[in-house]
Amino acid sequence: MAHASTLERLDSPHRLTMLEGVDEGVNKCIHCGLCLAYCPTYSELGTEMDSPRGRIYLIKSLAEGRIALTDSVVEHLSLCLDCRACETVCPSGVPYGQLIEAAKAEIERQRPGGPLRRLVRWVNLDLLLPRPRLLALAASALRFYQRSGLQQLVRATGLLRILPGTLSAWEALLPDLPPAHEREPLAEVIPADGARRARVGLLTGCVQAVVFGAHNRATVRVLTRNGAEVHVPRAQGCCGALHAHAGEHARAQELARRTIDAFEAASVEVVVVNTSGCGAHMKAYWHLLKDDPAYAERARALSLKVQDIAEFLAREPLRGPLAPVPMTATYHDPCHVVHGQKIRTQPRRLLSQIPGLTLVELNEADWCCGSAGLYNLTQPEMATRLQERKGRNILATGAEAVVTANPGCIIQIAQGLRAQGAAVKVLHLVEVLDAAYRRA
Amino acid sequence: MQSALLDQVRGIVGSEYVLTGVALSPYVLEGRTPGAAVFPGSVEEVGALLALASEEGIAVTPWGGGTKIAVGAPPKRLELVLGLRRLNRLLEHEPGDLTATAQGGITLDALESQLASRGQWLSLDPPFGEQATLGGILATNASGPRRHLYGTARDLLIGVMVVAADGSLVKGGGKVVKNVAGYDLPKLYIGSFGTLGVIVEATLKLRPLPDDDRLVVTSFERLKDCGQAVRLVLGSDLIPSAVDLLDGEALRGLGLADGGSAGGALLLGFDGMREQVEWQCEEAKRLLAGAVAQRVLEGGQRDSAWRLVREVGRRAFPDPAAQLRLAVLPTQVTEVIEQAGAVAQRSGLRAAFAAHAAVGIVTAVLAGGRDSAQPVIAALREWRELVRAAGGHAVLERAPLAVKEQVAVWDPPGPALRIMERIKTQLDPKGILNPGRFVGGI
Amino acid sequence: MATLTESRKQSLRRALEAIVGKSAVLSDREELMVYESDGLTLFRALADFVAFPTSTEQVSALVKLASQEGLPFVARGAGTGLSGGCLPSEGGLVIALSRMTRILEVDYDNHLAVVEPGLVNLHLSWAVGPRGFYYAPDPSSQQACTIGGNIANNSGGPHTLKYGVTTNHVLGLEVVLPDGEVVWLGAKTREPQGYDLTGIFVGSEGTFGIATKIVVRLLRKPQAVKTVLAVFDEINRASEAVSAIIARGLVPAALEMIDQVTIQAVEDAFGCGYPRDAAAALLIELDGLAAGMEAQAAGVVAACMEAGAREVRTAKDEAERQLLWKGRKSAFGSYGRVSPAYMVMDGVIPRTKLPYVLRRVNEIVAAHGLRVGNVFHAGDGNLHPNILYDPRRPGEEARVVQAGAEILKVCAEVGGSISGEHGIGLEKMDYMPFIFSPADLATMHRVKEAFNPRGLCNPGKIFPTKKSCVEVGPGYRPHPIEEKGLAQRF
Repeated sequence: MAHASTLERLDSPHRLTMLEGVDEGVNKCIHCGLCLAYCPTYSELGTEMDSPRGRIYLIKSLAEGRIALTDSVVEHLSLCLDCRACETVCPSGVPYGQLIEAAKAEIERQRPGGPLRRLVRWVNLDLLLPRPRLLALAASALRFYQRSGLQQLVRATGLLRILPGTLSAWEALLPDLPPAHEREPLAEVIPADGARRARVGLLTGCVQAVVFGAHNRATVRVLTRNGAEVHVPRAQGCCGALHAHAGEHARAQELARRTIDAFEAASVEVVVVNTSGCGAHMKAYWHLLKDDPAYAERARALSLKVQDIAEFLAREPLRGPLAPVPMTATYHDPCHVVHGQKIRTQPRRLLSQIPGLTLVELNEADWCCGSAGLYNLTQPEMATRLQERKGRNILATGAEAVVTANPGCIIQIAQGLRAQGAAVKVLHLVEVLDAAYRRA
Repeated sequence: MQSALLDQVRGIVGSEYVLTGVALSPYVLEGRTPGAAVFPGSVEEVGALLALASEEGIAVTPWGGGTKIAVGAPPKRLELVLGLRRLNRLLEHEPGDLTATAQGGITLDALESQLASRGQWLSLDPPFGEQATLGGILATNASGPRRHLYGTARDLLIGVMVVAADGSLVKGGGKVVKNVAGYDLPKLYIGSFGTLGVIVEATLKLRPLPDDDRLVVTSFERLKDCGQAVRLVLGSDLIPSAVDLLDGEALRGLGLADGGSAGGALLLGFDGMREQVEWQCEEAKRLLAGAVAQRVLEGGQRDSAWRLVREVGRRAFPDPAAQLRLAVLPTQVTEVIEQAGAVAQRSGLRAAFAAHAAVGIVTAVLAGGRDSAQPVIAALREWRELVRAAGGHAVLERAPLAVKEQVAVWDPPGPALRIMERIKTQLDPKGILNPGRFVGGI
Repeated sequence: MATLTESRKQSLRRALEAIVGKSAVLSDREELMVYESDGLTLFRALADFVAFPTSTEQVSALVKLASQEGLPFVARGAGTGLSGGCLPSEGGLVIALSRMTRILEVDYDNHLAVVEPGLVNLHLSWAVGPRGFYYAPDPSSQQACTIGGNIANNSGGPHTLKYGVTTNHVLGLEVVLPDGEVVWLGAKTREPQGYDLTGIFVGSEGTFGIATKIVVRLLRKPQAVKTVLAVFDEINRASEAVSAIIARGLVPAALEMIDQVTIQAVEDAFGCGYPRDAAAALLIELDGLAAGMEAQAAGVVAACMEAGAREVRTAKDEAERQLLWKGRKSAFGSYGRVSPAYMVMDGVIPRTKLPYVLRRVNEIVAAHGLRVGNVFHAGDGNLHPNILYDPRRPGEEARVVQAGAEILKVCAEVGGSISGEHGIGLEKMDYMPFIFSPADLATMHRVKEAFNPRGLCNPGKIFPTKKSCVEVGPGYRPHPIEEKGLAQRF
């Protein structure tokens, strides 16, 4: 570690622009340490710089100018999963998610990542995600890669071993893409089945729409069966969550404005989201745009309308009839559902309404699986450790299927179980509900 | 002891409280007679005596009720016996605080009767409570059957006042039930056999007296069944205050046997609210349905049965030759007893065993009545080996000098002895307190 | 802060790396800074190194190296301590035990477990819970604090009223002595021979060596538990209820008091169901046999009503019980919602003095123009006045320290102690003479000399410094932090 020379105090405070305003949040931390044992990276490494309390201390010290943004500080802050498990246990109410995003934005501003990482991120964040059509095109290419046998060839020959680490980690995470008809766009308005309960907008997402189009279709079916008139505004795109987590602050704001515009135009009462990071992020639009006079109020209004799919459905008992789905299942809490949105009991309540389904509890159910947005691409080593840990816990339950509610988790967990040679199915909550409706 | 020195001692306490010559016969220890026995009437007098002893390099042997004075290696020097029976007052008892402070020389029974008058008790039940003093009980870490639930001295002592080797007054702990200020000195004095200081005052945690108190004696055909019964009890919802076990020989020796053939008995103490005690007696009956016999004792019967059990070392045989205290894992208790019994049998000796079964403390008694000490020595050595092999340890609590010369009283405590020696040197640099009697020659 | 030359630092780093590996040594300032405080942020001290051993052998090798090099060293668990006890107050090496977290053995038949020091307290109860067992000492930080740290501080918790503190649950310890030698104190069996070194080691605040294996007792979960919440409109009445419960011959498993300031912070944090307008509440837990439980609960309710409780209710299910306890155990952390900083005191008093001392606490704090929240183990008489303050206001911190000292003085005057469970550490060194005489302190110091003759193991803790007239022996020297005066918070 040869950055001892960068230890001098920062003399120009304006250089820490992104950390302005963290004071209040940071000062809420009273250093009690109750978060430590709930932090996956601390649990794996035992080093306090890789714990919430340690990272808050680093952010505080950065903001105070006691330390500079050295390689090692960047490394420790970047290793944060942003799973926000610490927020759930923090008695003091430290808004950790806001702090770490501010810190990551500062890192991105001061020290843009290495060339390879820049490229991967540019392709993902700047080129593909904001442009659904381009993403669909890329998806077709990817599908060709998978179906042509090229994938097996690449995996079998070990060609990946000579690729840079990040890329090979990425390749392993590729989900099997659904066929083209599953990726067709949904109708803009789908009427409620039976008595109408609400006008509901659906965030179809970016990656979600392409890779997990089936989830969106299932979501629509389950929503309409439960009285929702579903609106799918064409103008929507990426919600900007990945950008915010990666420190791409300006781009995140821009995407947020676009999303607000799209759902305002559809004049819906609720915006349902079936991906955890997007839901948590959209609920925090108010914070992201609080300094934008044109959007501050509108962002607040939209944030209040956002609901996770489980949150929306669990407000009333599921409308029948539901056919049995005979299996033993366990539930993995996506971080940004359970910690980001404090939704813990709802998905379990929904699953327990399905006849024939036996729900068993998962040890460390609310621990991050290592997916964490782009984390499994940027921090493959830690991501793999957490993936393996999650896999071991799942196998210990003896369940036939693990149910969760986020595409990132599904990819990560499925890939981990595959690597451990396990035949456990990994399903989205809406898939299980949809199956119960479709069989009825 | 020089007469000038004796005069100084007399000057401190008054001559009526200094014994010399033939009057010393109760204080003969391992065949040696001390130079004098002195009975100070105040903490200040204890301080003055120790200051003098320290200055003159006189060995001091603290002496409470003398019930455990036989425990320990023969003393290196026996010069001044320091009798503490005059320091016998209960100093403070505040029922609302559930604590009491008493002087070291008060007997356990005297203390308990004063506490009982205000509805509380000190939950320690070592043998010979009418004689044993509070200070002595602490210094020897004496305990009884109810340690199972209520713990031992280390769980009850919250503060201690000690006169140090140089005569200074040292306090450890305090008068409140929770206290982590400074080192936990009370722990150090418990079980130190008077080698680090003389306990003159102690503050202890108390408990409310139970409404009801019963003893359930369950006899089994085989000792093994007793062990199984202990496991059943410990795996159940029962909360006994005592879980003692007697082998057949002890059962008969104490006159507690139901019929002649029982291989052992389990003694369960239940105390608390009547409703709790009744439920537990019923539950014990249900749980131990395979027993030969079961009796529930109350009142005087209960008290005399417990007394016999506590005093098994003196009462199992009319003429006991030696007593060894073994510590093993609770699950090893019955097996170790069986093996030790077999050893005694091979040596042609009778042996009786009593155990606080759930904490793994066994008292093993050998009957005497033979001319030669050799079989006793051989059996004790084998017992020691047996306990060591089981991962436990043993103290020879009582034996004639001829036996003690052949069988070590204490097991070597291992590498930690180094620290113990240093503590001794730090707190008693001149080595005047009970020299040579403790572990590793301390 | 230490003053190692760069070349010496380099060579020490290499030697440390040779023991624990490259990735298990920290020496960069910004990384070391994260280790400069524990749960008490009043003090900070920077180490020269932090090392992360994974075995007894590595701990021993680290200690031997430190001993050879004359480098001060201190063990650290989760750093949740509240007295600055694990701070490297003279620089040197922090031995972080966060990678020694294994449960080595569980012997259900003999009701014991052998664990490593870095194991989180609650994780042991989680591990043995499915078999109906638990580890009784339950400090409020049990979700994060380590059993090794509990050993150092002889930690208590709400349930110590009936079940005792850490020392009552430890049978034996494998210890690395300050010269690096590994010895066993105590054992799995009872009554090990010689002095009770386990007993004196527990609570020695890391000044006697480093425990690397710990044999603890496990208890069976009780057949029945009943949790009662009693609500009072006057704090005095709540204090009186505490004595009334004890006077009835009841020994609850826990008897906790929580005042209005604290109730409001906790309700803001988790909404645990404490009435926000109450002056004080008692959280009372009974456990044990199902038989007699109703009668005992009735006794508790009657005692509280007679003392003037406004409302007494029993938790209707396990979920409500857990929620009430979550509120209690998160209380300290919740102060972050009502104040940017707080300082928790840890005095102990005889239970019967509770009404008087609580009144004095409020008077003292008010006289210094400060606010206080009280949440504490009323049944044990272990107070936790939390003085709330803002470190950014000039002079406020000094007033807090002054008020704290006055409160502890009152505790001492009524026959109490200056610490019930948090330890002396750096924070209360100078208050030791409130309750101990020079001879008492000298005796403690001699015992320390026996374990730690060179004074390298966690130096500068426990014993008073300048203010006392005590000569505590040859190892004494003034404390660097004290010379610097009070460090600013963070």
